[in-house]
Amino acid sequence: MPPEVVYTPDSLLRRPRYLLWTMWRDLLAARELAWRLMVRDISAQYRQAFLGIAWAFIPPIAMAYGFTLAKEANVFTVGATDIPYPAYVMFNTALWQTFVDAATGPVQAVILAKPMLSRVNFPREAIILAKLGEVGFNFGIKLILIVGLFLYFRVPVSWTILLAPVALIHLILLGTLVGVLLAPVGVLYQDVSKSLNMVMGFWLFLTPVIYPVPTEGLFGALVAWNPVTPLLVTIRELATTGVLTHPVGFWVVSGLTLVGLVLTWVGFRIAMPYVVERVTS
Amino acid sequence: MLLNSQSQSAPENLPENPPVITVEGVSKKFCRDLRRSLFYGVQDIAADLTGGRRHSDRLRSHEFWALKDINFQLHRGEALGLVGTNGAGKSTLLRIISGLIKPDVGKVRVSGRIAPLIALGAGFNPILTGRENIYANMSILGLTTSQIEARFQDVVDFAEIEEAIDAPVQTYSSGMAARLGFACAIHTDPEILLIDEVLAVGDARFKAKCYRRLYEIRQRGVSFILVNHNPQAILNICDTAVYLSKGCLAARGNSGEIVAQYEKDLFLDEVEFGSNRMSLPAKPRAESLGLDIRDLFFRDEYGNILQALFAGEAVSFCVGIESYHVFEGITMHVKINKIGGEDNSGTVLYLNGENDDVYFSTESGQYELRLELPYLGLEAGAYTMNLKIKKDSIYTFDVVESFKFTVQSKSRENKCVFYQPRTWKIMESASKADAFPH
Repeated sequence: MPPEVVYTPDSLLRRPRYLLWTMWRDLLAARELAWRLMVRDISAQYRQAFLGIAWAFIPPIAMAYGFTLAKEANVFTVGATDIPYPAYVMFNTALWQTFVDAATGPVQAVILAKPMLSRVNFPREAIILAKLGEVGFNFGIKLILIVGLFLYFRVPVSWTILLAPVALIHLILLGTLVGVLLAPVGVLYQDVSKSLNMVMGFWLFLTPVIYPVPTEGLFGALVAWNPVTPLLVTIRELATTGVLTHPVGFWVVSGLTLVGLVLTWVGFRIAMPYVVERVTS
Repeated sequence: MLLNSQSQSAPENLPENPPVITVEGVSKKFCRDLRRSLFYGVQDIAADLTGGRRHSDRLRSHEFWALKDINFQLHRGEALGLVGTNGAGKSTLLRIISGLIKPDVGKVRVSGRIAPLIALGAGFNPILTGRENIYANMSILGLTTSQIEARFQDVVDFAEIEEAIDAPVQTYSSGMAARLGFACAIHTDPEILLIDEVLAVGDARFKAKCYRRLYEIRQRGVSFILVNHNPQAILNICDTAVYLSKGCLAARGNSGEIVAQYEKDLFLDEVEFGSNRMSLPAKPRAESLGLDIRDLFFRDEYGNILQALFAGEAVSFCVGIESYHVFEGITMHVKINKIGGEDNSGTVLYLNGENDDVYFSTESGQYELRLELPYLGLEAGAYTMNLKIKKDSIYTFDVVESFKFTVQSKSRENKCVFYQPRTWKIMESASKADAFPH
């Protein structure tokens, strides 16, 4: 006889132990489903695209090419970078793209899963996990580009490159935090997905992707307070020079990300039944 | 019209085992204004996240109770039918039971794994193959990969899509996709099945197969809640039924009684029961085309006007007309449609004078045209009649688009399409010669 489940109007926060237990149980239960959904989404994504996985390479290459041309024409000036500028832009773009995927993925995935959500009571975490897996998969493909890039430009590599994946996971988790936070409201209001692209564009501008970290002025302060900055810079430094310039910022942001992610997850669980109730008859 | 929920006692022969679903005083409110509804959603989330009370038992402006104080239990192995008109709250109730949305008042206890057959083909991706979609769909319904592998062939066989299993689902016909969805859902081996109007998929043969499968599952002791607009399905599968009306539990009892009550309410809301007569005022002369219908009613074989019609009895359909001129070649066209029923439409009878070579002539004055039926062949139910009076098959004098009438039955509950006059006999074989050959 399976345990009895009781549905009541009361807030789950009044039963914190039960809440944590169900979160743990659903996370375990969601693994297999998440894998299935990920396989489904990835196969569907590449099956209907003529260029297939080339789509993982095209944006960073296009961006690097564009900015390198602009820089050489002296349209704008950037300070010296640790590694050749085209490699710098391409590597950063790949990382930034991964962050954007992690942030926009959950919102899109939950909106797409609306018909499923309104009919079957499956662990909702699976949607997020599947998206995380997809982000990881897409980064894996970009990795091919990065390896080629490092070989072509003979970028010096430090042994600390072995630690880079850990920092990368922190970056993805920060993106996921943003995504999970916005996902429930994103299903209710289209404003979220409409504004997300704009916000991400502005955020890119405040992130040292096409320029090295500025140190002065209001702009320097804004970039410094951008939580993506220490994570992105640390990943790049771990992979190349091995000398970290933002270790404190990295650990502060990472710690806050982990705590924030658990809290966001609780919020997501609590919010989803209300969301399902409002978006379907 | 509605019975009070307290006055309905549960059937005596309920199984004496613990309930698998207990619904205790459940209410749910909805808001029809989308903007407001979304805002209330955000409000509810905020209140819940701060751990505060949402005062979910009070209506905010523009809200209404979609469900109000529903109580019932479902026992192991019981099949419960849920009847009610559109918007009575049936689907909402199922969604609360399956844990998709929270009740606003009350409690639902569930013990056992629920499979909702609300969601046929949930998560189907049209560009993936049938095989891939089976894995994704059954995974969403809660099966592990090894469980899916074990059932895979059964699903394919049941859905009858063996040859198309590796083709993208977008190339499937709608019937094939629906069959695949149903096959996936039905093979999840749940302890409780919630079935919401999904049995209308596929052709008649597949439908019959679905019902057979449900019957087998039922024999294995799986509990059911079945929502269906076709009361016959409820009668076939369920022993008990709950009747929801405007969000309230109107009645609960054995399925025969509840379905009868539901059908009575459904059809007789529109038709004044027992009148079976329609009188029309005289038309202004300018609008008249020379011959007007004034009265529609029925008479029995002795000429008495009938209020109630019974299947199988002699009846005459009478049309009172008023003619202003001399006419010849007048014919009556009678088309009868059944209200409700399996497909909710379709003509049951179409009779006209031309086909039978019956033409009437009139002079100025009032007449009664009669269509005499030695047996009323229509089964019990509600009907609409479309009546035309024509001349020479093209010129229409007057039309009654929809004359509603009801037929009752004196025989017991049956599944016939029409009334068959009959006698049953047993005869002794008269001689050796008539006996069976050796």
